[in-house]
Amino acid sequence: MDPLDLDLLCELENGLPLVKEPYEEIGARLNLTGIEVLERIQKLRSAGIIRKFRARINQRKAGISANALVAWKCADSPNGDMGSLLASFPCVTHCYERMPVPGRWDYSVYTVHHGYSRDAVLAEIRTLADNIDVHEYVVLFSTEEFKRVPNVRIKKNGSTLA
Amino acid sequence: MTNHAQLDATDLHILDALQDDIPLVSRPFAAIAQRLGIPEKVLLDRLKRLQDEGIVRGISPILESRHMGLYAATLIALHVPEERVHEIAAIISSYPEVSHNFRRGHYYALWFTLSGKNEEDIGRVLAEILRRTGIPDTDVLNLPTVRKLKVDVRFSFLNDEMREDPLGPA
Repeated sequence: MDPLDLDLLCELENGLPLVKEPYEEIGARLNLTGIEVLERIQKLRSAGIIRKFRARINQRKAGISANALVAWKCADSPNGDMGSLLASFPCVTHCYERMPVPGRWDYSVYTVHHGYSRDAVLAEIRTLADNIDVHEYVVLFSTEEFKRVPNVRIKKNGSTLA
Repeated sequence: MTNHAQLDATDLHILDALQDDIPLVSRPFAAIAQRLGIPEKVLLDRLKRLQDEGIVRGISPILESRHMGLYAATLIALHVPEERVHEIAAIISSYPEVSHNFRRGHYYALWFTLSGKNEEDIGRVLAEILRRTGIPDTDVLNLPTVRKLKVDVRFSFLNDEMREDPLGPA
């Protein structure tokens, strides 16, 4: 990555302009042609620096108001097979394996679920639990969002979203 | 609480399509519009509306943390007195190392993610947050990331019927 790549990522962090030729417009701000912008993005993608390039959606505003983090106690699979299994279900949008706090919090796999209602999300989680035959879990619905920004940002603190 | 805008089938198809990678061609919106079977102008107008309404936060690249020097991450849960939730949440959110900060319906009411160059880096931020808020260690769960198994959130806006019924001619 050269300094121009960083400038480009910084511009793109503000979002692609909603015009017919957005890469041209981004390029104009950086003294690059639209083609040069596309080539740089392509290179950053191939290098794995850009993982995805797509819209960030505020699902709550689109009516997906039930959002749950579920902590699973997967005592029988210390090698994490249960994590991979949970991650394979389409209804799981995020899946992480985390260190437990022995004796206080013995949950080691975490999944995230989204839906239009809590009932729908709970039903989905129950089905999942039956499928993997793990019945010790905690469902943590979010009730208030204080901050949600991409975890990797060029600009210091991103924008805090109300 | 629910103040979400009315979304019609075209909006939902657009939201679904926008979760795929944006085409790297000079007119990406024309390419998406063609796939959806709607005119480019309609797509752009609707996108502007969806962005004004805050439903679309923006179209931007998602960067891989390791390439940007972030090698450690954790999830922290705090038990905090009900009347201090907002005050403490504001302190937590002020840190750039914090990307997600939510209140959840549980004894541990605040859940936030911390990422940094290494574990010491994260430990320093956590220690400072605990010192500033006066929360004792016994009210903290520190759950470091061992493996990221799935990270790309994709919301399903379309039901099976809509999926099989595109908006226009293919």
